[in-house]
Amino acid sequence: MKKPLVPTIIGCVMMALVLTSCSSKPSDQELKQLEDLKAEVTSLQNQISAAQSEKASLQKSIAGKDAQIAQLTKDIEAVQQRLKAK
Amino acid sequence: MNAMKRLSVVALVLLIASVAAVSQEMSKEEWQRQIAEMTTKRDSLKTVLAKLQNEIADLKKQDDERSARIKKLTDDLAALVGSQEAPFAALLDKIDNLVNDLSKLSNQDLWARRADVDTAQSWLDGAKQNPLSSIDKFAKRIQDDQSKLDALKKTIQTTMEAAQAGQTYTVGTWARDRDCLWNIAKKPKIYDNAFLWPKIWQGNRDQIKNPDLIYKGQRLKIPAKGDLTKGERSALRSYWSKKKAAAANP
Repeated sequence: MKKPLVPTIIGCVMMALVLTSCSSKPSDQELKQLEDLKAEVTSLQNQISAAQSEKASLQKSIAGKDAQIAQLTKDIEAVQQRLKAK
Repeated sequence: MNAMKRLSVVALVLLIASVAAVSQEMSKEEWQRQIAEMTTKRDSLKTVLAKLQNEIADLKKQDDERSARIKKLTDDLAALVGSQEAPFAALLDKIDNLVNDLSKLSNQDLWARRADVDTAQSWLDGAKQNPLSSIDKFAKRIQDDQSKLDALKKTIQTTMEAAQAGQTYTVGTWARDRDCLWNIAKKPKIYDNAFLWPKIWQGNRDQIKNPDLIYKGQRLKIPAKGDLTKGERSALRSYWSKKKAAAANP
């Protein structure tokens, strides 16, 4: 007996629909939780980037002030020497 | 029959579409995997951020300490030099202005104002005697001004040499001009130095047989200024020897 093709296909479609609608998915709340976590990670990355810039800026400032201190110390010694020699 | 075939095709398309739609939705397992991954990442980033914030706090403290140290050293230097710094800076400003003005002049104008070059050098020499000249910011300014003055003096020298290269002098009279080789060499436009008279003598041997005798109207070549050459010194010695001998045997 020739198997009816059309009813078979329809039956498969119905079964597929039933199966897919029943599989496990995260709830909307859980999806929001994931989105919030991703947003927090992005925020932390931005904060780290800003902190690294601030760190570099402070290091540069300190280096400049060290040079200024060295120059002032040298100037004071030079003037003291000249005053002693007078 | 045809209708049934059409229905089958539609059903098949629906099946494929529904499977595709479902495959794009996140499964629970995938959600759990991503939650775990993001949580680990967040915790790691928090640790890194906390460490950076500690380092920044420490660097700020170091920066503040250096600012305080700079203020103290600045105050110490000010106490050392007293109230001299402002007048000294004003002196350097005066020198800078004069030197810069002179630097803008043409060679001819600079020659005319060569006395100002000497004035600027005199001021600068005075500034160098001041202990404040040891301070780096002032030392650099003094060095710059000295370099510019050296360049100006070189220009004046070059201008003078170029002028003298083709320079001549027409002898006047003793009565009116007091022209003799000594006085001619003393003239500022000639050598500004009477002791260089042998240069004029030796540079005009064809006209001057006896350096004590020059005549009105003689057009004398003026050799370039410089120290007496060996030949000129020798001629000078010979001149004085003869004068001495003539004086001894009148």
